[in-house]
Amino acid sequence: MEIETFRSKRGKVPSGFIREVKDIVGGENVSQEETDLISYSLDYWMYGIFLSQYGKLPSLPAVVIAPGDSREIQGVLRCANKHRVGITPFGGGSGVLGGAIPGGDEAVLNLQRLNEFISLDEISCVAEFEAGIIGANLERELNHRGYSTGSIPQSFYCSTLGGWISTRAVGQFSTKYGKIEDMVLGMEVVLPDGNLVDIKPVPRRSTGPSLKDLFLGGEGALGIVTRAVVSVHPLPQKVVKQSFVFPSVAEALEVVRKILRGDARPAVVRVFDETESERYFGVKEVTVIFISEGEPDFMELEGAVVSRIARENGGQPRGESPVDRWLEKRFDIGLGPVAMQQGVVVDTIEVVSLFKDSANLYRDMVSSVKAVDGTIMVSGHFSHFYREGACLYLTFAGASPDSFRYYKDSWTAAMEATLRNNGSISHHHGIGFWRKEFMRRELGAEGVELLRKIKVALDKNGILNRGKLIEDAE
Amino acid sequence: MKMLNKGEVEQITSCALCANMCKHGCPVYLATGSETLTPQKIARLILYREKGFIRDEAGFFKVMFQDAMCGACRVNCIYNNFDLRDFIHKERSEAFKKALLPQETGRRVENFARFGNPDGERQLIQKGNGETGYLVSCSTYRDAAILGAVEKVLAARGECQEFGGGDICCGAPLYYAGDTEGFKKVAEKMKGEIEQRGLKKVVTSCPACIKMMTEIYPRLGVRLDVELIHISGFIAALLKQGKIKVNRMKATATFHDPCLLVNDMGITAAPREVIEALGLEIKEAVYGGKNAHCCGGLPGGKIGDSKLSGRVNAMRAGELKETGAEVYLSACPTCKAALAAVGMKDIAELVAERISDG
Repeated sequence: MEIETFRSKRGKVPSGFIREVKDIVGGENVSQEETDLISYSLDYWMYGIFLSQYGKLPSLPAVVIAPGDSREIQGVLRCANKHRVGITPFGGGSGVLGGAIPGGDEAVLNLQRLNEFISLDEISCVAEFEAGIIGANLERELNHRGYSTGSIPQSFYCSTLGGWISTRAVGQFSTKYGKIEDMVLGMEVVLPDGNLVDIKPVPRRSTGPSLKDLFLGGEGALGIVTRAVVSVHPLPQKVVKQSFVFPSVAEALEVVRKILRGDARPAVVRVFDETESERYFGVKEVTVIFISEGEPDFMELEGAVVSRIARENGGQPRGESPVDRWLEKRFDIGLGPVAMQQGVVVDTIEVVSLFKDSANLYRDMVSSVKAVDGTIMVSGHFSHFYREGACLYLTFAGASPDSFRYYKDSWTAAMEATLRNNGSISHHHGIGFWRKEFMRRELGAEGVELLRKIKVALDKNGILNRGKLIEDAE
Repeated sequence: MKMLNKGEVEQITSCALCANMCKHGCPVYLATGSETLTPQKIARLILYREKGFIRDEAGFFKVMFQDAMCGACRVNCIYNNFDLRDFIHKERSEAFKKALLPQETGRRVENFARFGNPDGERQLIQKGNGETGYLVSCSTYRDAAILGAVEKVLAARGECQEFGGGDICCGAPLYYAGDTEGFKKVAEKMKGEIEQRGLKKVVTSCPACIKMMTEIYPRLGVRLDVELIHISGFIAALLKQGKIKVNRMKATATFHDPCLLVNDMGITAAPREVIEALGLEIKEAVYGGKNAHCCGGLPGGKIGDSKLSGRVNAMRAGELKETGAEVYLSACPTCKAALAAVGMKDIAELVAERISDG
């Protein structure tokens, strides 16, 4: 028996390329060992993970390269251009759309040696980190000094700052602290041709289109983020936890809309449908949790505003315990790996719409995925709220003799429902390779063509993260 | 191949399919940035070997000896009662059977066969009387300063036996080398050493000795009828009871938590009580207490790859230096040696230096 690859066979790169990159990063940081090729063959794309238990991997890269700094990355990319070798950047490997899955004739660029805390500027409330630092460690460095970014995604313990930037990630406390694009003030990026761009950290500028926005969501296809300056907040002095139940998702959404319209900004707002409420809290009612945190006086006031609007609009208070339950369970993904061993395919899909469409999108998406033959469970919650709308996060599980057909059909049903209801196909997981077929309907043919032109202008040899974000040029 | 039972296969598969939620605390991963050395990827490799997918056996065993066996992944695991180290140990046992040990690990195993300890010929230590014994671990035997300090503390405490050196060892070097059979014999020998001395309590400075004797021996059917106490708790109790008194000093100190002490025994308070009793102001490291990183050990120890253990040593020393403390303390002779770059001392040494007569 041996590893079966379904994306491509284990490939080769020119021996001259290997020789030259060894000179750049040191021989000990270039590996073609079987153990390394297996380990960098897959990120956390859930269907790939499902298959990995059977020894089926998307591909085995030809080589893994682990540079130690920006200069070495520049050298590797210049070398890759010279030899026309595809490079797949690998941050924490926690992406769920296959954005870090390499092709067979490609090299993986492991960015996890760049994992240092660089500095904290307490006057300006900004901190600088190397991009390969894991989120939990970034926060530990800051918390130790009395600060936090407020960016706590579910992948907090395994994803990197560079990964957050490259996928336009968000954390669970985003309604107050913002999303990664709100937090990043400056960054250093190695371009596909090996040149380096240093975008200095300032709160805002008017100097033409924002260059940093090219790389916020660039998915490693437009450049490699090597360090970033992020905004930080003093650790909150007061935390107010509240929860309410409502008769329906639509009524709960309406309450959240009114709260945000009133300029309250709880850090956490989550609306769980009946299925998720039962799973988390043991009740079959739509549950909404709020966490307000910050200056004590403000938080008392914010808590009172949230409570008043929720009660005035049919919310039944349920106290702090559902919030504590969620805080305790929010990183627990243990059920998925157990279910997968029973042949059950599981995944999550996050989309976003305006408030006017939110309830319809929820109903349509849940019923569409439920209708897919093989579905066992579909549930949803709303999180990451804005004054104008919210992110809908769907979880589904199902089993079928043809697991790939089930997986594909579920995704298609969810994406079609999103597009039917004026939603955007991704809120914060990104595109990777798995979702890119829907990009034309998301951006329009012209939008995709514009993105392709930007890609070609930056990466004329097409070396960086081939086959991700947009379809390759024909 | 085919070493695991059905339940074990389910466990290792769950780990292999997890999102690597514990990798942030893995010292080997942090020192190298290597995805291969993260717990989830090690689990995937073990699963693939179990299923017969691995072709490069030597490369596979090399990875098994690159893990720190420090327990950070167990502490940070989302599953209850899962310890990846047990699976890695099984693979190390296979490597031992196939004589595929890293060089330095193999050398220590050979020493064990000749001298009954990993270091070579050495004197047997037997001093004092009483039902309480101080076990001189192999790591303590190598450090005269710690041993002298402990003797001074024990003298202040009163009646106590001191034993070790020669061929007295808990067997941890064999356990981490995968020599399960040899380890079991050593465990039985240690049981005899304790029983023939009539000991009711055994104190030691080495957390690995305590882990072996309390957790691993019973798995092999060797049960010790003795209370095992780490030196930090022993000294903290003596200070609390007023049996020893110390002259307080004014300085800042950072304590490096030994991995097995914190991850397996959950001990973080006792050493800090000792440090505070000395009057020192504790400056915690960013990665301190339950988030402390392993020191990396010494060549051929828990990490079999000597070069790699050096990289972890350097990383940990760097993390500690950042506190800018005047004194660096630990409570494990191996940690002290591995972190010599920061001028590490054992808490027993500082206590011995500061013992007052009244």
